[in-house]
Amino acid sequence: MLIWVCALHCEAKPVIDYYRLKKSHDARAFDVYHGDDMVCIISGIGKVASAAASAWIAASNPGATSIAWINLGVAGAAEHEIGDMFLLNKVVDADSGQRYYPAPVAASSLAGSACLTLGQPSDNYREDTLFDMEASGFMHAALRFSSAELTQSLKIVSDNRRQQTGKNRQRVSELVQQHIDSIDRQVRALFELKREIAALELAPEAWQQLLSMAHFTQTQKNRLRVLWRYLGNRNFSSESLLGQLAAQKSARSIIQTLEQISFRDSEDL
Amino acid sequence: MVSCVYVESAVRNHPRTEQLLERLHKLPRIEIEHYGEVFNPRSQNFRLQKKNPAIIIAHKNKGQVLAAPEGYGLGGDYNYYFSHMLNCIYDCRYCFLQGMYQSAHQVLFVNYEDFGDQIRQIAALHPGKPVWFYSGYDCDSLANEPMTRFTDYFIPLVAAIDNAWMELRTKSTQVRSMLKMEPVARIVTAFSFSDQFSHSKLENGVPSIAKRIEAMRRLIEAGWPVGLRFDPVVYHRQYQTAFVDLLDQVFAKIDAQKLHSVSLGSFRLTRDHFRKISRLYPEEPLFAQNMHLNNGIISYPLDREQEMIEFCEAQLMKRIPAQSYHPCEWHG
Ligand code: SF4
Repeated sequence: MLIWVCALHCEAKPVIDYYRLKKSHDARAFDVYHGDDMVCIISGIGKVASAAASAWIAASNPGATSIAWINLGVAGAAEHEIGDMFLLNKVVDADSGQRYYPAPVAASSLAGSACLTLGQPSDNYREDTLFDMEASGFMHAALRFSSAELTQSLKIVSDNRRQQTGKNRQRVSELVQQHIDSIDRQVRALFELKREIAALELAPEAWQQLLSMAHFTQTQKNRLRVLWRYLGNRNFSSESLLGQLAAQKSARSIIQTLEQISFRDSEDL
Repeated sequence: MVSCVYVESAVRNHPRTEQLLERLHKLPRIEIEHYGEVFNPRSQNFRLQKKNPAIIIAHKNKGQVLAAPEGYGLGGDYNYYFSHMLNCIYDCRYCFLQGMYQSAHQVLFVNYEDFGDQIRQIAALHPGKPVWFYSGYDCDSLANEPMTRFTDYFIPLVAAIDNAWMELRTKSTQVRSMLKMEPVARIVTAFSFSDQFSHSKLENGVPSIAKRIEAMRRLIEAGWPVGLRFDPVVYHRQYQTAFVDLLDQVFAKIDAQKLHSVSLGSFRLTRDHFRKISRLYPEEPLFAQNMHLNNGIISYPLDREQEMIEFCEAQLMKRIPAQSYHPCEWHG
């Protein structure tokens, strides 16, 4: 699953439209939009709101095996042009000094930047960093659920020393909209990474079926999981394996049978 | 493909950092306070990172040179190890480095002088006795040589300390800088090999066996002591013929009489590393083989391990002088 976290609806709107996300009528704490393996949550302004929304949406999707995240929003910058987009590679919380390093996606052609997350709005522009009000809260929460490679923050400059457009909602949507193709490329790259991780997971139905065949102690379950993941990833079909195990009466003999299959298979490296 | 360069602010203006940054000028650069803040957090995926690791340029504050684990090395009385880098540009599936750190990024330490001071101090603790310094424990000593210029600093350093010996453990072919220097009898470059079948399945990114043999040959020809490490020997159905083929290939080009030392060891990992790595690569046949836990070490069941070592030893002994052979005692 890919989760978008945006402070404002106007930042999320181009994404909602592009991916045809539908508003959820069940969620009350936040505005949430759902699509195919994708959710977008509107957190409200500020790092606390962003952290709360991120934690809430992750906790609301406990079945998601691996979550990729994109925090999308606008930021201030001293000299960058209005509309420039950056992939954050360093996020510093101005109040606590805490630093986060979302891992750069190597396939990305987007420019990287540091970002300072402020507790209050400010027009004290700094040369070497973007500034926003959410990224550190988002990072703090999202990194508890996913790895730094799957946790990204995209910021588009809405305000600089010469011009401020961040309060114009229509304009903010336009700024995001003009990057929608690059944003989509970033999404694809993240999905690619996420797929690689998800492919290694156990298929839940077959796993449950296997567990129901005998009483396994926790140690046996651990061993079973290793064997089952191995064979699943080596393209043994679960139906055929479950068929071969049907005659086994005990947890031990099930494990032994799977071990024999694994040993045979692995002898060719 | 390297994704970016992290640089500790404190070493930003270090001459070695500047050299490195010049080479890496096309990569995004991110300033950090301490390498640990990128290298150590738990929320990283080693497997994803290994595809596009970053380079971290850093300062090693303490513990630059440490006592080697019991049984490590070639049997000397005083054994130490040091790593001017953490992690490796290659990706051998059996490598314990995969389970060692949270991160797959490559850390390059630039304060060689502090490593040098410790090497001198340690050597001075054992006057008149040979003291071995092993490089390539947490990395491949030479793999990043064009960037790190490790040999330019450490070879003259060790050469100047009468009782210091150094082993550079490598799977790379980066010997160009050594070929430009005068050979030093107390500095051994040890090349590790696994058979061709294991190489093709398990040693991602590692130069071919033929190229490594050629690098060895050139070092020997230039007068450098060279060691051979058949480690790890990995079990597979054809391991015996594959091992014999490997020996044939090596000794067709290398004069066994000129080797400093030869060692041999079968695949083994500490239990913790094994667990961590097999979780990272659950589809890897190497970890699905029949293994056995003994004293915190996971390796092949004793009878299989014995059979493998005995076979390989016997083959090896047909080709090398007995005095150059050192079985691997170190398990871990
Ligand atoms: S070359 Fe050595 S250090 Fe590098 S991955 Fe392979 S075994 Fe590990």
